[in-house]
Amino acid sequence: MLEGLVSPENLSLSSMDMSVLERLKWLRQQQQKQVVSQSSDNSPELLQILQFHESNNDELLQSTFSHFQMLGSGFGPNPNMGFGPSREAMDGCISRTSSLQMDPVDTMGVMLKNSEENRTISSKNKRKSEVKRREEEKTEKKIKVAAETESNMKGKSSMSNNTEASSDTSKETSKGASEIQKLDYIHVRSRRGQATDRHSLAERARREKISKKMKYLQDIVPGCKKVTGQAGMLDEIINYVQSLQTQVEFLSMKLAVLNSELELAVEDLYLHAYFTNLPVVNASKPSIMVDVPLFPLDQQGSLDLSVINLSQTTSIEAPSASWETQSRSLFNTSSLGFHY
Amino acid sequence: MASAYNPIYTDVPEKDVFALHFLQTLSNLRTQNSFSSPDNKTSDRVKKIKKAAYVSMARAAGGANRLWSRSLLHQAAKRNNKNVRFLRRKRRVTWLMRRRSNRGDPIEDVAAERLRNLVPGGGGMETSKLMEETAHYIKCLSMQVKVMQCLVDGLSPK
Repeated sequence: MLEGLVSPENLSLSSMDMSVLERLKWLRQQQQKQVVSQSSDNSPELLQILQFHESNNDELLQSTFSHFQMLGSGFGPNPNMGFGPSREAMDGCISRTSSLQMDPVDTMGVMLKNSEENRTISSKNKRKSEVKRREEEKTEKKIKVAAETESNMKGKSSMSNNTEASSDTSKETSKGASEIQKLDYIHVRSRRGQATDRHSLAERARREKISKKMKYLQDIVPGCKKVTGQAGMLDEIINYVQSLQTQVEFLSMKLAVLNSELELAVEDLYLHAYFTNLPVVNASKPSIMVDVPLFPLDQQGSLDLSVINLSQTTSIEAPSASWETQSRSLFNTSSLGFHY
Repeated sequence: MASAYNPIYTDVPEKDVFALHFLQTLSNLRTQNSFSSPDNKTSDRVKKIKKAAYVSMARAAGGANRLWSRSLLHQAAKRNNKNVRFLRRKRRVTWLMRRRSNRGDPIEDVAAERLRNLVPGGGGMETSKLMEETAHYIKCLSMQVKVMQCLVDGLSPK
């Protein structure tokens, strides 16, 4: 009966291992879903829980009902409430009920264990003090928020309107709202048992960004996948960059040795030939400009070279031939779609 | 997805572009009298060719659009003209270094420092930006290496 509140899909979704952007997309997808279906689905389960709590006071019953309503909306088939507020609400109700009486806490505990929210139990004590500060107003706000899903996503205005409380609650709600509103740019999930101040959140977001980029670098640098851990990967990347730079130096040495004056002159002539084919070649301009005029060269390149070759009587045969083949090979490989 | 953001952003032009720029810079070099004269020591020529390679790579990769290429070109120009633009960068560096020292993650920072020394213009960047620049720099470097390899193969006597 209690497990019924937890749906399997929610288990997978509530896992903290989901990447930030995946969660963001999930949340955005769920934005459109209605609340009515939520509440109607949860009512039978809620009734069951209410029966379980028959023995308690009416007051407590009402409070637990309100809590469970929020819980149900959070755990129901549409767990799109925004994990943040629903979980905070749940946390709020857990600690609140724990401060009031023992029984509901136990049931909550059972529910939580089933729902993979073990961390909430451990952090319950930590949040007790916090919760005692922001009791009624926050739960009221959460109920209203639960009634209107979208306001969570879109955010600040509606939530701030609903709070009519002390500065503490307004601060926290604004923080929660800003957390949610950060969906627009940086979406950070605050984890249970970890600090939720702005600095650590920003720190976490930064670290996630960096790890994303490290993964991308891993794909580029060959042989980086075997090494795990950021330090090893960074070392690999550094080694790769160093090796590339030494390669450039080595090849430039080779070029310096190979190039004699004659070949330089020949090269000049060939370069002029290239430039006559291209309408505008400006060295300072970005690559896009140069890309387009190079296209016809792919087909005509060899032909032009042969034409030039014939016209150059002074040119020496051997280097020109080698130049031709080399440039042809260059263009062939490039036209083949040479990819790094 | 998350990975879709990066590849679009760090695209590198095709080999032709690099080849063209490199050849152009080489030809510019050749027109200089100091280069073609045989009394020149090979080491000087090597240095000039290397510099030409880097500069052409920086131009081909997108000129001033990339941080590393911009700083590369600055460095090259500074050696020639001794520009005073370096001062502005230094001020920016100190501000960023102060910021960085506050949120240092020791494991990252050590390697990031080494990376900063390698990648041109790395001193004035945040770690996340550094990663992007490194990726683009690696791609461009590999392209340049391929172009030079082709050139050397073509020019080497058979």
